[in-house]
Amino acid sequence: MSSGGSDLDKAIQQLRACRPIPENQVRELCYKARELLIEEGNVVGVDAPVTICGDIHGQFHDLMELFRVGGDVPDTNYLFMGDFVDRGFYSLESFLLLLCLKVRYPDRITLIRGNHESRQITTVYGFYDECLRKYGSANVWRYCCEVFDYLALGALVTGTATNLEPSEAPFADPSSQASMPGLDQDIEIETLNSNGEIMFRFARNGEVSQPSQAASAPSSSPLVDTPSRTGPSGTGATSSSNGSRGNDGGAVLCVHGGLSPLIDTIDKIRLLDRKQEVPHEGAMCDLLWSDPDEIDGWGLSPRGAGFLFGADIVKCFNHKNDLSLIARAHQLVMEGFKEMFDSTIVTVWSAPNYCYRCGNVAAILELGEDGSNAGFVRRANGDAGRKQNSVLMERGERGREGPGRRYRVFEAAPQDSRGMPAKKPVADYFL
Amino acid sequence: MALAAAPANDRKRVKVYELKNNDWFDRGTGFCKGVLLNDEARILVSSEDDPSRQLLETKISKDDGYQKQQGTDTLIVWTEQNGTDMALSFQEAEGCGAIWEFVSEIQQRLQQINDGLSDDVIENMNPILLPPPELGNLPELENMMRAANNSPAGRDALAKFIVTADYIAKLIPLVEMAEDLESIQDLHRLCNIMKLLILLNDSAIIEYVVTDEMILGVVGALEYDPDFPCHKANHRQYLSDESKFKEVVKIEDQLIKKKIHYTYRLQYLKDVVLARILDDPTFSVLNSLIFFHQVDIVQHLQGNVNFLKELFGIFGAEEQNLQRKKDAVLFIQQCCAVAKSLQANARATLYQNFIHNGLLDVIQFALKHQDASVRVAGTDILVALIDHDALMVRGYIFKAINEKTKPLTDTLIELLLVEVDLGVKAQMADAIKVLLDPNANSASIEAIGRTNSDFLAKVRGGISAIPQTDSFIQNFYDESAKKLFQPLKDLEGRKSMDDLTIQEVSLYSHLVEVLCFFIRQHSFRSKYFILSEGLASRVAQLMLCPEKHLKLTSLKYFRTCIGLHDEFHNRQIIQNRLFDPILNILFETMPRDNLLNSACLELFEFIKRENIKAIIIHLVETYREKLQTITYVDTFQNLILRYDQMHEPATTQEMDNSFTTQESDTPVRNSGSVNCGRWQGLKDADAEEEAYFNGSDNEEDDENLPNAVKPVMNGASPVRPLVNYPDDEGDEDAMDILSSSGPTVSSTQSPSPSSSASKQDQESPATSPAARDQTPQPTNPAQTPLERLSEKRRRDDDEEDELAKISTQNSKRRSSASSNASATSTAITHGHMLRRKKTINSGKDGGGAPKKMAISIGVKSGGGESNGEGE
Repeated sequence: MSSGGSDLDKAIQQLRACRPIPENQVRELCYKARELLIEEGNVVGVDAPVTICGDIHGQFHDLMELFRVGGDVPDTNYLFMGDFVDRGFYSLESFLLLLCLKVRYPDRITLIRGNHESRQITTVYGFYDECLRKYGSANVWRYCCEVFDYLALGALVTGTATNLEPSEAPFADPSSQASMPGLDQDIEIETLNSNGEIMFRFARNGEVSQPSQAASAPSSSPLVDTPSRTGPSGTGATSSSNGSRGNDGGAVLCVHGGLSPLIDTIDKIRLLDRKQEVPHEGAMCDLLWSDPDEIDGWGLSPRGAGFLFGADIVKCFNHKNDLSLIARAHQLVMEGFKEMFDSTIVTVWSAPNYCYRCGNVAAILELGEDGSNAGFVRRANGDAGRKQNSVLMERGERGREGPGRRYRVFEAAPQDSRGMPAKKPVADYFL
Repeated sequence: MALAAAPANDRKRVKVYELKNNDWFDRGTGFCKGVLLNDEARILVSSEDDPSRQLLETKISKDDGYQKQQGTDTLIVWTEQNGTDMALSFQEAEGCGAIWEFVSEIQQRLQQINDGLSDDVIENMNPILLPPPELGNLPELENMMRAANNSPAGRDALAKFIVTADYIAKLIPLVEMAEDLESIQDLHRLCNIMKLLILLNDSAIIEYVVTDEMILGVVGALEYDPDFPCHKANHRQYLSDESKFKEVVKIEDQLIKKKIHYTYRLQYLKDVVLARILDDPTFSVLNSLIFFHQVDIVQHLQGNVNFLKELFGIFGAEEQNLQRKKDAVLFIQQCCAVAKSLQANARATLYQNFIHNGLLDVIQFALKHQDASVRVAGTDILVALIDHDALMVRGYIFKAINEKTKPLTDTLIELLLVEVDLGVKAQMADAIKVLLDPNANSASIEAIGRTNSDFLAKVRGGISAIPQTDSFIQNFYDESAKKLFQPLKDLEGRKSMDDLTIQEVSLYSHLVEVLCFFIRQHSFRSKYFILSEGLASRVAQLMLCPEKHLKLTSLKYFRTCIGLHDEFHNRQIIQNRLFDPILNILFETMPRDNLLNSACLELFEFIKRENIKAIIIHLVETYREKLQTITYVDTFQNLILRYDQMHEPATTQEMDNSFTTQESDTPVRNSGSVNCGRWQGLKDADAEEEAYFNGSDNEEDDENLPNAVKPVMNGASPVRPLVNYPDDEGDEDAMDILSSSGPTVSSTQSPSPSSSASKQDQESPATSPAARDQTPQPTNPAQTPLERLSEKRRRDDDEEDELAKISTQNSKRRSSASSNASATSTAITHGHMLRRKKTINSGKDGGGAPKKMAISIGVKSGGGESNGEGE
């Protein structure tokens, strides 16, 4: 869809400067976005390479920082996993900018729904008030909420590469280079800071000078997932590091919250009628509200909506759906990202210094394209059509190798790049 | 101290225990006595084997938390100053009692002495006295204030001093001095000091800083935030602009006028000046100050006869100033917004006074205003009024009907039909829904209910049975509904649906949505209305238009109808062959995975799952060949299968029933109970009967559960939402789909009330009023044992695995405490991992870890209602 046009570009420009666009433009934008989103499945198919982002929460300047660190649209493909609005003071500008980019570059950016993309939640956590302040009426809020109802519930990333092409970047701490895996090894995980310097690199076969791996807690570390070279027979969880396989890294399911006890295959998500306010229970609610937790099976969520789910649930779901990884957002993690359950699920959080005071860093997750050829070109987004129905995959062997994962960690935008963040004051007052 | 008599020191045999690693460690057996030494009271235990060896010597202090164990009478436990838990286990209750008496008496005495002292402490020992502020001593002052800020007592003392010494007034001149000297350092310090003083969270200080004399100086200091060294805010300029205050009618009372300004400034502080740094306590202090001011203001105004007369007089013919009329509407809108948080009685008086002065005419005026913002305000006022008391509004509409004047409903309908502003249109459609919602809350009912609980019970049983509501709705269907839905009716005979204007599209979607609402809310009246007007076919006609979202809306109407399990609606759909356009949409969108297609699939899945026989028979008999070609999901093959089974000899049916134990001919409203796992979901495209039975076997394997258990378990948890919330058409199915995933799932399907009560400052969908109604769900009886089971499992884990302990404990805490705690615990576990990573990185940014800890603790403590960290 070539919905270019100077009006849209102008709007993008204006929003990039953190200035809201007029109400009638919002209405048109929402109208166009709706036309576009209605064509998307409940689970959108997305081809690698793609950069996956977590909660934004109206922190506009940090969103700009995200684009600086991750590359601009349309040069980088993005997938945002919801919670664009509430809490921060620039929900409106943040969401409208993302929506503009979506309309302008529909194939370069994917937006899925978070639990905050809801009428009820936004009236409590700030977006409603913000719209009222900035436009004097709730109209814009209504238009946006209408768009929320059309947002997809998840995305499925395919065509990822098993191994990262190592960044040609300097090490953040040169002395650490010696302890990192060499370039001849398959790189599974790389963590970069906001200057693009390598903070950490991890090879798939786990040859990092990393003591006492086995003794680490059964969660949260990308280090513990290393499959032993000779896994128990039947698990297929072996990992050979030799030779380039050009193996694709398996599919990655992206949802805002997590899994649902009512959904055991991705295809079942397709049977939901998503055009509605986020319900208080049921599959759609769970996808947006659940959290992984160190429990067995399913547990009650302290949030009062969705569920807690344990490693067994994730592993079983990934196996059944031939997924190598689930990427989700929804929970603040101080380090910006957190892998759990032997790297079968990862939380990505993209709002640095959440609420302007939590002191956390943010992260985005880059998944490379399955190059299979020597000349690995990052960002080579051929306009090849999206894969048809990659959802209906044969049941794969157990123990897929996860995709190579490059995390870029970043902090809140430097103070000088923005004014003092504040809400818009009430314009006129009678009382 | 000498007053306390030492107990008679006959030898009391006792065992001394110390708590080490959760185990009571036996320190030995000996004899215990209480002694007074140098004005200190001690308990001594000397070993019975070697009397010269002391097993215990402890000084009794006032807050060691001594406890005598209830029940046994031989055990005293306490915590030492160093935090060690200790216990004395006496051989005889008598000895225990004697020592206990001694301890209690000493502690009481210590308490009295300290209380006597404590007053002195605040007045003499800990008063804060700061030198008069000068630019020269600002660093010193800032440090002293920070030091005082660290303890609660210090904060109190500081606040007290600031108020009594009128210290802020002394600080303010320094801002201009520093500005003249262009001393940015001093300005930053002044800003820090001012922030600190406001965040002392003393309401006297906060009220003081927004007074006319102080406000500009205070925000002036706050313009130089050291966090933004290159920026200067323009708070003074903003706040000194007096044109922002619109005084529609002159407010004579100076105090009230002041309060209006204070409120505005408090709001500005909250939203702009302090937005980024507000902690939760200060946030709520600001909010409550604003609230109390507003209440005072509104209360004053609504009781002021002259004021109201002049306010509503603005809408009279004499008033020529159009801007003033507009402002008056906006003024009333703001009053109504504030009124929402008033107590019911006060709010009722306010509305009565307003209505008495002509509020309804104002609404009529506003709704017809050419300026969209005024129309928005008009609808806002109307909705606020209906929300407050729908019965009352309906009463007025009745009165209008009887007096043969145009009722508000008709005005609304006319306006909805012609409204061009799409936002206002949406709001008017909402207003119509609220007005005709038989369940709308009503202050009148509540008021009656308070005096007569029987009545209330009856009302709660069936609000639609209230004669007034009922006849109101009857009247609506007799008179107004035709006008409302006329545009839909006019579609009949329209040749092409390809040329709808944006206005038409939006009108039709609103009308269909209102219609959906009506068929759910007023079942029988709406049914006959729809039949007599032939609306179902018109709605179906909308599916022919190219606008996909309108198709979707129209599809949703049929989904709503079918969801009602009402033969009447089903018959209408079947007789008019309204599945034609639905199947057309399905075929148009078919191979693709998009929203419209999913919505169609969901509809047919629902029919299949609910086994709605009339529709299944109709579908298969009319469209069999068509349906057979749809193989990308198994829904349609299964529909045909169902049909075939209905028409097969009894033996097959019996076999079928043995598998799906709860099949029945009657449609079951509580759909949760009919969900037998094997009917659910997509299997391989060729759903032959064979494969279908195999499929169910597979599933059994996956779940590790005997198939027969499933229906029972599913049946055990049909917890339906009690809440009636605006867009829940799809809710039902979203919930019911595929509850095949095993009994554990169904057992946890609804969070119990107790769990939702424990979530404290977490955001949850239950934060809205609508959701609150939902919270008291009946606890699922199947839930408790399973919950216990999983808890037990967790405990087992604890015992098994030392390393895993940290994380399991975290998860325990997470499930019981707030999400803040969970965020913290997550941070800790992960922080641990990160530190390990850092060893590789040679501790590059090692400074991060302690900082994170500190901050997450800060987050944890700051859990207020509105700023919970659940994300």
